[in-house]
Amino acid sequence: MTSGADNRTGPYLELFAGRGAGGPVAARRQQAIERFEAAGFPGSRDEEWRQTNLGPILRARPVPAAGGALGEGGALPFLYPDCDRMVFVNGRYAPAASSPPEGVTAFSLADPEGAGSELLAEHLGASVDGRASCSADAGVHPFAALNTALFEDGVALGIPAGTALERPIQVLWLSAPSADAAAGDNGAPASIEVSFPRLLVVAGENSQAAVIETFAAADPAAGGYFVCPAAEFVCGAGSVVRHTRLQADAAGAFHLGFQHARLDRAAAFESSSLAFGGALVRNDTVALLDGEGADCTLDGLYVLAGSQFTGNHMRVEHRQPHTTSHQLYKGVLDGQARSVFNGRIYVHQAAQKTDAKQTNRNLLLSKAALANSNPQLEIFADDVRCTHGSTIGRLDEEALFYLRARGIGFEEAHGMLVHAFAREVTDKATFEPLRRDLEARLFASLNGGRSNGQGG
Amino acid sequence: MLRVTDLHAKVEEQEILKGVDLEVGAGEVHAVMGPNGSGKSTLAQVLAGKEDYEITAGSLELDGEDLQEMAPEERAHAGLFLAFQYPVEIPGVGNSYFLKAAVNANRKARGEPELDAMDFLKLLRERATLVDVDEALLRRPVNDGFSGGEKKRNEILQMAVLEPRLAVLDETDSGLDIDALKTVAAGVNALRAENRAFVVITHYQRLLNYIVPDHVHVLLDGRIVRSGGSELAHELEEKGYGGFDGARAEA
Ligand SMILES: Nc1ncnc2c1ncn2[C@@H]1O[C@H](COP(=O)(O)OP(=O)(O)OP(=O)(O)O)[C@@H](O)[C@H]1O
Ligand SMILES: [Mg+2]
Repeated sequence: MTSGADNRTGPYLELFAGRGAGGPVAARRQQAIERFEAAGFPGSRDEEWRQTNLGPILRARPVPAAGGALGEGGALPFLYPDCDRMVFVNGRYAPAASSPPEGVTAFSLADPEGAGSELLAEHLGASVDGRASCSADAGVHPFAALNTALFEDGVALGIPAGTALERPIQVLWLSAPSADAAAGDNGAPASIEVSFPRLLVVAGENSQAAVIETFAAADPAAGGYFVCPAAEFVCGAGSVVRHTRLQADAAGAFHLGFQHARLDRAAAFESSSLAFGGALVRNDTVALLDGEGADCTLDGLYVLAGSQFTGNHMRVEHRQPHTTSHQLYKGVLDGQARSVFNGRIYVHQAAQKTDAKQTNRNLLLSKAALANSNPQLEIFADDVRCTHGSTIGRLDEEALFYLRARGIGFEEAHGMLVHAFAREVTDKATFEPLRRDLEARLFASLNGGRSNGQGG
Repeated sequence: MLRVTDLHAKVEEQEILKGVDLEVGAGEVHAVMGPNGSGKSTLAQVLAGKEDYEITAGSLELDGEDLQEMAPEERAHAGLFLAFQYPVEIPGVGNSYFLKAAVNANRKARGEPELDAMDFLKLLRERATLVDVDEALLRRPVNDGFSGGEKKRNEILQMAVLEPRLAVLDETDSGLDIDALKTVAAGVNALRAENRAFVVITHYQRLLNYIVPDHVHVLLDGRIVRSGGSELAHELEEKGYGGFDGARAEA
């Protein structure tokens, strides 16, 4: 970890200085920026970060993304039918494009209502910035802390106890960077528009909710913006919370996301993280199984081409007995794409009868693509079942030949096999419009990203 | 229809086919027999266009067209079908989805209209009944976890659905019980037609009781050392391949 004298932190500290520090979470924001200042950005020797090249982001001067100018229908291509929705442009709420759910507390963080203020005061940032989140060795997450300190807007959802939402809630984070971000040295932009989307979901006892977050760009060719989102889930006893995170940012975008879930007794948290876009992407996930019988399922898919980088860093903590966690992350890499999967499972001494399973599978479509997979199991209880498996492989040539021998062309056969690989994750999307969207994105990225399509 | 002339093929610097000549006319059924490792599957795979094998000499023609110039899928479009000795398991690809993709890829390549879901399902049901394939197998991933016999039946189902002009069956009878063998043979016989031909690779006379070949060839050490009528299969069953050592030495 670098010292507070890190000169790259300066511009971010200035962003903080430039904002009003009021509101129900002022103290937490202050604390977060202090922690960030003390910790600084991760250095190249920081184990959790050494494989993520932050250079292009940190070399640029951050400027807050300008407020939401969204043309008529600009959000439409990204919205699903049969959803309640809240739309944000450059991190700011766009009420005209939104239709928040009824019967629950749902509001923009820039505009907390009376009851909302209490929800925020109690929960927002209470766990994300590292304090209550992890065991001793998990330090401050610098980008989560930055988000807490700097978010301007976001969503808070409070699901009352016993309430089951029938429709998913879609939260669309649309980036529409202004075109004048000038390129500086080494191709990195001299300035970069940054937004800090924030999501808080507090699920009451025995409640049920499904939240779909979509990160996208109004112009898919836009480049050089930086999204630094954080999401917190407080899952009450017996609640069932589903979270889908579709990352479809513009090709040149930087995305460093953090999500944190705390599960009470017998709560279930199902998360699905699907990464298609961006140049440099991180998804850091922390799940704390903090009540007996809590159960989390963490699935992910990353589909990368060109020189995209995506890192998924997982930390699952079993803190109580009879808790279960299942992770399934799959990657498809073409071109010179690179990926990192760091899966840490931490089983506390009290967490007997833990059942933890972690699987990471990578499919390399080109010679230059590179996938890293690092399972890390730390087990301090003796009566547990923990399994992990990781594979890095190539397309099955025998299967490809078999399909072609039946008359299916090279491109189609190739697509079928990649799809067959990925669908283990995408098929889990039970919400039909989402599943179809995922299939379409998968096919689009296969066709768009492939370079060596010669037949035999 | 099929003309193989002085075919030499090698894999990993090892010559496996050492001058195969084979001519198959429309409407004919040819059986190819030979001991393990003699090159039967190699011949079949080379016909289908497997890239692992390097053709070092000779030629392969289907209806006068040079197969070597064609990708595996183009050979299928031209009417060639190979029932694999070891059908490949493809988890994640549904069997009926795969069959539909195959049927329509072939139709498209031949300039025929693609079948819609209804028409395809009708065709599939009909052919599945013909070769006695359980509908449950259609809903599962291609060959994934199928028993040996189920895999072989699935090959025959694909053949029945694709209606090839030349079908090469590589030990489709191996591992089948007698009922399955009869069903497979019935499937083949149902497809027998004047404009269609079969090359049946087998170790056993048994299958040839049901699919009566016009010609029988003995492949030994990469060469066809003897050809004859269906009586040759009986002779092989009785005497084995030992008697052909001389022929091998001569050739
Ligand atoms: N891909 C390969 N790599 C290396 N050797 C191979 C390969 N394919 C075939 N061979 C070798 O070529 C020879 C012929 O094999 P082939 O499979 O054609 O025999 P076969 O007549 O079909 O035998 P069987 O009756 O056992 O099916 C064998 O010695 C085999 O080991
Ligand atoms: Mg063989």
